[in-house]
Amino acid sequence: MGSKRMSGWWPQLVFVGPVTIFFLLIMIIPFLLGMYYSFTDWNGVAGTVNWVGFDNFKQIFTNDADFWSSFWFTIRFTVVGVLLTNLVGFFLAYLLTKKLKSRNVLRTIFFMPNVIGGLLLGFIWQFIFVKGFSTVGDMTGWSFFNLPWLGDETTGFWGITMVFVWQSAGYLMVVYIASLTNVSKEVLEAAEIDGATRFQVLRGIILPLIMPAITVCLFLAISWSFKMFDLNLSLTKGGPFKSTESVALNIYAEAFQNNRYGLGTAKSLIFFIVVAVITLIQVRVTKSKEVEA
Amino acid sequence: MNKKMTMLSLSLVLAMSIVLSACGSSNESGGTAKGDVKTVTIFQFKTEIVEGLNELAVEFNKEYPNIKLDIQTVGGGADYGASLKTKFAAGDAPDIFSNGGYAEMEMWLDKLEDLSDQAWVKDLVPLAAEPMTKDGKVYGMAMNLEGFGYIYNKDIFAKSGITELPKTYSQLEAAAKTLKAAGITPFANAYQEWWLIGNQGINPAFAQQPDVNAFIAGLNDGSVKIPGNEKFADWAKLMKLTMDYGNKNPLTTDYNTQVSLFASGEAAMMQEGNWAQVQIDSINPDLNIGVLPMPLGEDAEANDKLNVGIPANLVINKESDVKEEAKTFLNWLVTSDIGKEYIVKKFKFIPALSTIIATPEDMGDIGTEVYNYVQADKVLGLQSSKYPDGVTQEFASVIQQYIAGKIDASAWETGMQGAWDKLKK
Repeated sequence: MGSKRMSGWWPQLVFVGPVTIFFLLIMIIPFLLGMYYSFTDWNGVAGTVNWVGFDNFKQIFTNDADFWSSFWFTIRFTVVGVLLTNLVGFFLAYLLTKKLKSRNVLRTIFFMPNVIGGLLLGFIWQFIFVKGFSTVGDMTGWSFFNLPWLGDETTGFWGITMVFVWQSAGYLMVVYIASLTNVSKEVLEAAEIDGATRFQVLRGIILPLIMPAITVCLFLAISWSFKMFDLNLSLTKGGPFKSTESVALNIYAEAFQNNRYGLGTAKSLIFFIVVAVITLIQVRVTKSKEVEA
Repeated sequence: MNKKMTMLSLSLVLAMSIVLSACGSSNESGGTAKGDVKTVTIFQFKTEIVEGLNELAVEFNKEYPNIKLDIQTVGGGADYGASLKTKFAAGDAPDIFSNGGYAEMEMWLDKLEDLSDQAWVKDLVPLAAEPMTKDGKVYGMAMNLEGFGYIYNKDIFAKSGITELPKTYSQLEAAAKTLKAAGITPFANAYQEWWLIGNQGINPAFAQQPDVNAFIAGLNDGSVKIPGNEKFADWAKLMKLTMDYGNKNPLTTDYNTQVSLFASGEAAMMQEGNWAQVQIDSINPDLNIGVLPMPLGEDAEANDKLNVGIPANLVINKESDVKEEAKTFLNWLVTSDIGKEYIVKKFKFIPALSTIIATPEDMGDIGTEVYNYVQADKVLGLQSSKYPDGVTQEFASVIQQYIAGKIDASAWETGMQGAWDKLKK
């Protein structure tokens, strides 16, 4: 009995131990430290750190309109972003599991944006929006291209959304493809013989069977769009006049630009709780919809 | 379910780590002694002088074989501040770093070495000593002077028949009308850049106050308000003028686009400073240019001043092991012939020390004009480092609202006040 227990403990210690140590050092301890700082007025530099209790939270809830408007922006962005990335990702996957000659090439192409870093993508797209679009607009006279891209709230919002969808849909596509190819052929054939239409097959058979993939993809898209920082920074820097400032950018600016580190960590703590609650609910809801074939 | 939960919590913690990872508190200095050779680490943000600095480091090493310089550069405003804080928090503090002066000096004060006893201190021009002086002690060496106003194209002005340079608001308005009638865009506006408006552009409205330090103190204790202040009302008018007579989509125009609009002759004026010289030269080296003040109201004499500031000061980390070596380098930088030569010829700086002489050829058209204004003592000091942290970005966002037409001039003044109140200590 004793040796059996040993063989259970040793592998765990050897294989999981080092990771746990690093996880503690790099994730948990900074996280706890951050929680501590959120109750202080530290400016990020000074040697003195004063405990201020709940003052930071009070200030956020009573006297920080910018934080809440950035929250509202992030929520709108998340709703639109999650819907669009999943729809685009799913339909790309749906099409690319059909018998197309070019499908391997297309899969690679659609996945490619995901390989490039967000900052780089942002700067490339900023150039396209500002220079490329206006040149096309001058040549064709189409009003779509003559909009002041990234120069007002609406175009700023949709500009970021477009790049975000373009970047992340490819990744979700891969997840959906893996799941779609696992849907058993027998069930599909049976449905076809029974005379189900293509839409009925999609709704009644494919969607329920790929529910695990939907859980994962929704989860990924939600956390990506909530945390979105690099695209925001490189495309608009939150501008013009903070109309496209995401929560992550607001927190960064509070901590490092306004030198109110304590306030910034307090905001990030609130943000963490909100995102945690939302993703927990999402995972629970979609999990309950998963079925076995 | 369990596995998913682990993945979930892991990802969420990851999300937070972006913001929280810079924590830590140990404070050790970075200089490491290897045998007899000591290394002085320099951390600065002027990307355009990296190459020159590295060459200088080699020259310095020839004279002082025992001191090695390690130059590290991170470009651009907020990113530099964040990385500097990270370095201090990680116990990897540099020995020499840059500081903006005034409020930024206060913030870093307990890390700064008092440099008052250094030989070069007496040579600092008064304007350059002020930002780093506290209670009679000098804590930093100004790297250079930078001046800005409306840079204008002399040839276009002459061709359009503008003979007298505009010194007041109405003269500038008349000039803009003349230029527009001649088919030239009067102003190239890069109002996408927050620093151009929130840090520099707004400066005349502060610096032209009768007593700017009292004004800022008044804003901080609430005895003075921006709404109703004449200079701010005048500034809003000036801003409106540049928009009415400017390029389209100013909010998506960046610095590079602005400079190329100007340098290619499409636009006659732009709000910029002597740092733009290198870029203008790379597009059109033969351009004949000068600098106009930014006029508020009709007082020609009060308006005939350029905005001049110190972009960065070199300071020494008090806790460094190699303080003396760092001081040696700073001293060598501004006293040795080769150091002086690099400052004016290679970096194209307007020197901040009276012992360094720069010729018009070294500084270029804009630099020379700024230098002449400095010599004549017709300057408005750059005030932005006296504002509470983050106010310049906050200002920029309010000004952009005004530019976009979201708010009118009086709502703009209220917004500026709100930005200040939100961030004041």
